[in-house]
Amino acid sequence: MPQFFNKKLILLLAGIIVLVALIGFSMRERETLSWPEQFFKDTTGWFANAFDKPVSAVTGLFENLSDLQNTYDENAKLKARLGEYVQIKTEVQALKKENADLRKILDKEDDLSKYSPIQATVIGRNPDRWNELITINKGEMNGIETNMAVITADGLIGKIKSTTPTTATVQLVSSGDPNNKISASIVQQDAANGIIEGYDDKQGYLLMKRIPFDKEIKIGSIVETSGLGGVFPSRLIVGKVVEVKVDQNGLNQTAYLEPATDFYDIKNVIVVKREVVGDEEAKGEGKE
Amino acid sequence: MKRLILPLTAFLFFIMEGSFANLLAGDIFGGDKIIVPRFIMILVAFITIYGSRRTGMVYGFILGIMYDVVYTEILGIYMFMLPFFAYLIAKIMRIFQSNLLVTILTSLVFITLLEVIVYQINLLIGFAHMEFNTFLEIRLVPTLLLNLAFLIVFSYPLKRMIEKQELESAGE
Repeated sequence: MPQFFNKKLILLLAGIIVLVALIGFSMRERETLSWPEQFFKDTTGWFANAFDKPVSAVTGLFENLSDLQNTYDENAKLKARLGEYVQIKTEVQALKKENADLRKILDKEDDLSKYSPIQATVIGRNPDRWNELITINKGEMNGIETNMAVITADGLIGKIKSTTPTTATVQLVSSGDPNNKISASIVQQDAANGIIEGYDDKQGYLLMKRIPFDKEIKIGSIVETSGLGGVFPSRLIVGKVVEVKVDQNGLNQTAYLEPATDFYDIKNVIVVKREVVGDEEAKGEGKE
Repeated sequence: MKRLILPLTAFLFFIMEGSFANLLAGDIFGGDKIIVPRFIMILVAFITIYGSRRTGMVYGFILGIMYDVVYTEILGIYMFMLPFFAYLIAKIMRIFQSNLLVTILTSLVFITLLEVIVYQINLLIGFAHMEFNTFLEIRLVPTLLLNLAFLIVFSYPLKRMIEKQELESAGE
């Protein structure tokens, strides 16, 4: 039966089967990458790092020029806020001291919001922007581990998805990956916890789901990480509530957040290592 | 040394795509648009048209695997699509004459196809939540414009380079 045995058709079908199997394989939440993947990523990471230097020098020049144009206005604004700053600074110092004293009285040393930072530069980004991933130039050798939080000066941008010895991949909060979840809480008199999952591409809002229906949420409240997830420290700013909707079944609410950071213009990031190790982590299953 | 020119160009394009993506995501080009550089797809199309189908498919396969591993972290999609497209391009090019304009148009058509199919796969596995209209507006049109600009600048040098390589390897 030579006519049924079309070689090309069989090759195509085999290809599709392999495709589906591979997608299924990579959709699982993997803790570590296989060594060929690590090797590829490391090698290209090295070249990308070298390539990035001249490119960022040129773009940096253009950005500096456009920054210069706004300098006068910014300066006037900043001067006006300087007085405010001194006052807040003294207040913060007093509060910090009081906090430390009270902790000593309570004999409580652990603090979920304590962390040590690791600075890193972005050397690449997933060009097909469905799964929003960026590559940074620090890896396992610098102490980076899977699931650590990643922030910029403005607030949270994502978490470490995978690591190789010299690079790491950050999954942005705005990524559409269904496994991409971050536990957060809304800061107000009666704090409300929820989970950040999903992103509205058109409006640029993050979706915070599973907030109990009886919580009253003030528009404009700040949203922070709650530190309940396991490896994230608490009190990293995520965004601001702009809209609240009740889910279809009426049991939960969904808040729409305006992100504190820009997910588009990312150049330098800080990887955050929490000082208090979660219970799960201590048992050796660092899964969120 | 000359034999290395094509693989090196391919590698350079590959690295460029990652750096470009980060640059294009910045505010200079309008942060609300998603512009996807598809230089690898263009390179595979040119190799297939001006080189041979076999070379095109091999390059598509290797670049596809690297793309999946290094960038998307979802294995399989590009590894499968790029050689498959190289095969289709070779089939189509039997009908058309391969002048530069036709090559540019073919590249654009296949970039569109790639975008739509990758979008559908991502919709299927739950990574994409975009509606089709939004996809057209903020993703497909800007992407095509960028790649058209890239094609206008680089199509002639690319064509010359690949044809030269082909002549040399045929002469041996």
